[in-house]
Amino acid sequence: MADTNKLTVRLVTPDRILVDQTADAVEVPSKSGYLEVLYGHAPLLAELGPGEVRLHGGEGGDQRFNVARGFVEVLPERVTILAESALKPEEIDTAEAQKDLDEGRKLWNEAGDDAEKYDEANAVIREAESQMESAQGHS
Amino acid sequence: MANVLDLRRRIRSVKNTRQITKAMKMVSAAKLRRAQERAVSSRPYSAMLASVLESLKRRIDIYDPETGDAKHPLLRTREEKRVLIVVVSGDKGFAGAFNTNIIKTATQFLDKNGKKQIDIEPIGRKARDLFRRRYPAAKFAEQNQGEHAGSARPERQRGSGTEVIGDHPGLLEKLSFDAVREVGEDIVDRYAHEEIDAVYLVYNEFKSVIAQRVVVEKLLPIVEFGKHEIAEAREMTAEERAQAGEAALTAGISVQPGEAEADIAEFEDEAKKFGTADVDYIYEQPPREIFDAILPRYVTSQLYHAMLESVAAEHAARMTAMDAATNNATEMIDDLTLTMNRVRQAAITKEIIEIVSGAAAL
Repeated sequence: MADTNKLTVRLVTPDRILVDQTADAVEVPSKSGYLEVLYGHAPLLAELGPGEVRLHGGEGGDQRFNVARGFVEVLPERVTILAESALKPEEIDTAEAQKDLDEGRKLWNEAGDDAEKYDEANAVIREAESQMESAQGHS
Repeated sequence: MANVLDLRRRIRSVKNTRQITKAMKMVSAAKLRRAQERAVSSRPYSAMLASVLESLKRRIDIYDPETGDAKHPLLRTREEKRVLIVVVSGDKGFAGAFNTNIIKTATQFLDKNGKKQIDIEPIGRKARDLFRRRYPAAKFAEQNQGEHAGSARPERQRGSGTEVIGDHPGLLEKLSFDAVREVGEDIVDRYAHEEIDAVYLVYNEFKSVIAQRVVVEKLLPIVEFGKHEIAEAREMTAEERAQAGEAALTAGISVQPGEAEADIAEFEDEAKKFGTADVDYIYEQPPREIFDAILPRYVTSQLYHAMLESVAAEHAARMTAMDAATNNATEMIDDLTLTMNRVRQAAITKEIIEIVSGAAAL
């Protein structure tokens, strides 16, 4: 490759390899907040939170993917994102996300004193909210 | 001997049957191709999970220094008193010995572990129907809305030693990771709460059309990452292999890994290095946390992979069975045609003899 200052970005889901290309920069939603990775980033391993992976300066222009449940490995010249679900904004079913959101809120109200159930409900809510946001950002 | 008309009718009926089996074979072949693709493209993901776990393992002490027990509940080995077996069968019949083999393997396993308390979690309609008939369903006490509402897990009321638990209709038909995740999380949950001491998975492993076997795989506790812990296996016989190979050939399915698969294989090799680069990673979260978050996902991904392979194997088995049926029908048609011609010729000869001898008598 002529341009050596490009990152190789891969987005892998259990079903397929969704993205395998180069980009200038990639934004990744880690559990504790978004981080942007450029070429030459220090090696890093992080758990993903629900949010958007954004590719900048990739082959097909800027791209966005809504991801949830996974983690990311960063090496100086390569970023690999593993996610259990990864959707393009136009693939998101807003009705489904809304249903999940309601479901999550219901769980939250019913959780009582159980910390485990609270965490679970919060996870469902956050995931649904992030999907809704991605979908709206698209339209 | 049957007359010509009867034989002609039978030939027609067998021809119809042959048409149906041939169509079924082609449909299965098409479905197999898709299922195979899915099974193959899910490999990098599970390989990556395994390798990242392996590398994390080296960085944190997963064993308690005092007791020597694993810290994470999913790695802890307990005495196997209560065992869960997940039986992955097909949804439909007409697939040769596919379902029979799986159920036989599962039943053997049950017999061998007769003294333990066993829960059977059937996936796929065939296994569900059969085990439902044989064993009672698990009963749970009604969640009482009193003092421990919400916090307590439903209490199990055990009747007999072996019970059927869970129901997943249509899971295999439209296999999605999300649906499998729910099943996986449920199993992990039960294991972590010590309701079960071990989890085995009975399914048909599928490497290619001619490399398959029914296996009993230990899912939990996790012994080693990236390795399948096979407790028992039933290989294909040479005859089955030859039949499957022939069926694949006539349906235009390659038994050798294709080009796309070679690409994936290359990727898989790379995947094995995932997260294991010899550098000091910055951990966004403490390694322990990442490890704990990934472990349950690893179980789910194994479960998902097993189901994908099982679906592919089911289609392959159906394709082989339908190929054999088509061949049998062709043979039968040949036989019947021969008999029919013979009967017709006999009738003609008889008539000629009658005419000739009639003329001679004049």
